[in-house]
Amino acid sequence: MTVVDDTTLEVRQLSKWFGSVVALSDLTFDIGPGVTALLGPNGAGKSTLFRVLCGLANPTQGTVRIFGEDPRANPALTRRIGIAPQQDQLFEHYTIVDFVGLAARLHHLSDPTASALRAIEIVDLDPGDSRPLSAYSKGMRQRVKLAQAIVNDPDLLVLDEPLEGLDPRQRLGAIELFRSLGDAGKTVIVSSHVLDEVERFGSRILVINQGRLAAEGPFSAIRDLMDDRPRHLRVGTDRPPTLAAGLLISGVVTSARVNDGWIEVETGDAPAFRRSVAAIARNCEVRLTEVRALDDDLESVFAYLLGPR
Amino acid sequence: MTATAVPSTARTLWSVLVRSIVTRVRVVGLGLLGAGAIALGVAVHLSNAANRPDAAWSLVDSYGLSLLIPVVALMFASAALGDLAEDGTLVYLWLRPVPRYQLALAAVAASVTVVVPVALIPLLVGAAISGGGFRLIGATAAGGMLATVAYSAVFCGLGLRVRRALAWGLAYLLIWEQAVARVSHGAARVSLFISTRSVAAYLARRSPPHNAVAWTTGLILPLVVAFAAVVVTTRSLNRGEIS
Repeated sequence: MTVVDDTTLEVRQLSKWFGSVVALSDLTFDIGPGVTALLGPNGAGKSTLFRVLCGLANPTQGTVRIFGEDPRANPALTRRIGIAPQQDQLFEHYTIVDFVGLAARLHHLSDPTASALRAIEIVDLDPGDSRPLSAYSKGMRQRVKLAQAIVNDPDLLVLDEPLEGLDPRQRLGAIELFRSLGDAGKTVIVSSHVLDEVERFGSRILVINQGRLAAEGPFSAIRDLMDDRPRHLRVGTDRPPTLAAGLLISGVVTSARVNDGWIEVETGDAPAFRRSVAAIARNCEVRLTEVRALDDDLESVFAYLLGPR
Repeated sequence: MTATAVPSTARTLWSVLVRSIVTRVRVVGLGLLGAGAIALGVAVHLSNAANRPDAAWSLVDSYGLSLLIPVVALMFASAALGDLAEDGTLVYLWLRPVPRYQLALAAVAASVTVVVPVALIPLLVGAAISGGGFRLIGATAAGGMLATVAYSAVFCGLGLRVRRALAWGLAYLLIWEQAVARVSHGAARVSLFISTRSVAAYLARRSPPHNAVAWTTGLILPLVVAFAAVVVTTRSLNRGEIS
């Protein structure tokens, strides 16, 4: 377990089950200021964990402390929290200013409208849009949720899959926003099931799978751990047999299976393979059309992290 | 929180919840039920003069207090927190620095705000048209208002706590209020239906209904039930699982 200085969130031996289904199992961790990504495949327990962290659900066992206090039955604590839940439903008849302004009013902000307008502009939406929220696209709704979460300038921001539905430009903007909030000393917890997304947060991560904490630490450490495992890659080429032979002779792959227009290789050192594959192709005088990991999906990463090594 | 923040927050919550429960389908469907009271009032007015007082009382007692107000209150009140809990938007009200009792009270107030024009006012109009006189109108207003507040409070809590609150609410109205309380004197003493009818009958100078309670009991019980329901709803908001 990592102990974080200036702990915002303290979780101890947290378990949550629904009947006989164990959603969270004996989680213990601390989270401090900066961006922390909660990474896990769909159904891993991320949303349940978020609900418990924010006091929306009771832990079956264990404790959660936010700024040293129990989030359950403590409405005053919510002044310091912003949450963007995963579900899409909003107050559908409201305009964006009404909806974000409602959050500002319920937070007792001195100038709710100005705060709402500021938050809406930060997420790059149009405060003058008079359409009801029911007319908004998925990406816009995600940003509406983000706007209502940041309207009170919270010290702790909990965002459940906030990048889902955003286009690449919007994703970039959102990631920049999370990083800037983290740099400003806020605690930002972002859940995701997309590995590349999390890498771009440049953050500490908690890996959760089947309700258990599979790994935690800086992303680079998790990445290194993952890079150490044998990897399967797809290598596209115009002459698969020639390239397969070249790769095997060079020793950067341990096996190669030739297919029509591509080969599947296994390597024990993915970074070394990536560094040398272009040169080997050049030496073999073949054309390289693609290099793609076949097992970068989270399930295989988790299988590795959780499996015997 | 400033002193002005409390009423302002309660108003905000009330306004959100009224907007959330007033849907076209509900208002039209239940409005027709309310219009039924006016239509019955007209029918009574056109009926034989000798039967008119009994028929007018029947309109208030057998239609208004037995069916119209409980059902309309069930439909709106169970939706006040229940719909938000079901679609996950309750979090946008719950995860704010707002005392939970204010949320519970705002839900009851929102329901009362809608039930009064959809059910109680048409019932009063029906009672007036029927020719029952000021005494009947006053009795209808008192009994109807007690029923509106008490049922709203009970069904707000029910909507938050259980799925399929409409089915549970209807079962409660049919089995407990309309069956058990009619035949069991013990059950009648804690029945909202018997209480509100008893108060209305006393004020209208009608003979007490079967299993009637004293009018003071009938006045106090719905208020106690409403208060208890708000406490339970607040407790659920504090301790329950919020969608």
